Amino acid sequence: MTGAQAAGFTGREADSGAASAVKALQAEGRHAEARERYAELVGRHQRRASRIAFHYMRDVAEADEAVQDAFVKAYSHLSSFREELPFEVWFTRILINGCLDRIKARTRRERWIAPMPDGPAGERDFGERVAGNDPSPEDQLLARERRERLAQALAKLPERQRSVFMLSHYEGCTSREVSALTGLNESTVRVHLFRAIRKLRALLGDANAGEAKVERRRVHS
Amino acid sequence: MRTRVKRKWRDVVSILNRLRLSAHLDDAGLAAVWTDEATSGVRQPHPHLESCPTCRARFAELSAWLQNARVDATAEADEYFSAERLSAQHASIFRRLEAAERPARVIAFPRFAQPLTSRTSHASRWIAAAAAAGLIVGVGVGQLMDLRHPFTPQSPRTTAQARMNTPTVPISSGIQLTPIADTRDEAFLSELDASLSRAAVPELRALDELTPRAGDRSR
Repeated sequence: MTGAQAAGFTGREADSGAASAVKALQAEGRHAEARERYAELVGRHQRRASRIAFHYMRDVAEADEAVQDAFVKAYSHLSSFREELPFEVWFTRILINGCLDRIKARTRRERWIAPMPDGPAGERDFGERVAGNDPSPEDQLLARERRERLAQALAKLPERQRSVFMLSHYEGCTSREVSALTGLNESTVRVHLFRAIRKLRALLGDANAGEAKVERRRVHS
Repeated sequence: MRTRVKRKWRDVVSILNRLRLSAHLDDAGLAAVWTDEATSGVRQPHPHLESCPTCRARFAELSAWLQNARVDATAEADEYFSAERLSAQHASIFRRLEAAERPARVIAFPRFAQPLTSRTSHASRWIAAAAAAGLIVGVGVGQLMDLRHPFTPQSPRTTAQARMNTPTVPISSGIQLTPIADTRDEAFLSELDASLSRAAVPELRALDELTPRAGDRSR
């Protein structure tokens, strides 16, 4: 067992303990204490949840709201949480369902409302970026372009392939965890991951070749 | 005979396997190898990858590309969700939880509204009834007075006033006399007519007589 896996297990145990404690406190009507205990869980999962929500929504404000909604929903429905499932998995399922609902609502809205000509919402102003140890503006621009291209390619994937790719590759979930999160078979998870990678390579292949050429030219000059 | 066929079949299979293994892995093959590794979490030796440096380099390039994508995605999300933003989010979550647990506040209805309406309902009803009754009585009495007006005797004051306004002509004498005011008016008008018909200045009188008048022309 690796160190990270061991840490994951202890983290999961701590999560289950905290979730059970919050549940018991809620049942006793000690709400202030229940909230205090729940704060531990929020603190432990907040960053990861924000990352997942951002990868789904591609909008900071909406991702923020989705995370808040998921935590509030998880707290109010904690009585239905079963200890045999890790809290992380149960909570992530709530979060992903919320994100998918929001995406559906956004798609419906965008059918009627013309999109703003600006870049993605929540993007920081150029002036806000402070010069210092940050990478050079050129590198920043290239990185941003690369991210944008990847995000666009990801958006072109079918919903299941996208979810499986993001959870297993970005979040480092095992196929069993992804299966528990998405409700798919483990073998189906593998097939979706394989197809997602093939498709992403096909979509980004030309762009990557071009980028490699530019990089080579930069190195030579 | 059977054993010979079996041997030949085995040879064909081994040749095919060798051909398959010697052929370079395409993108799908590389993706399959990567997926197997990623989902099982264990690096499984692949016979062709072990022997082919070209495919090994391509596999390494694919792995690096996916690793970069992961690092980029994580860095981007972390850039947007700074520590301040996360702490604001944390505070917001707990504000919402507190608000959800607090019992709903019932806003009291204005206290005077209900008693006022109940207390004043009787009085206002009586006032309205009295006003209506007064109006009906007033209208009725007014109508009655109007109807009886021709039959009622005039008051002494009004008769005296009427006598003063009308000219006093004794009917018994039989002589028709014009009122004083009328004779005066008649004299004034005839004087005016005369003065207008003749020239006021004696020197111009001759000239005036020669000038034809509008009345003469019409005649």
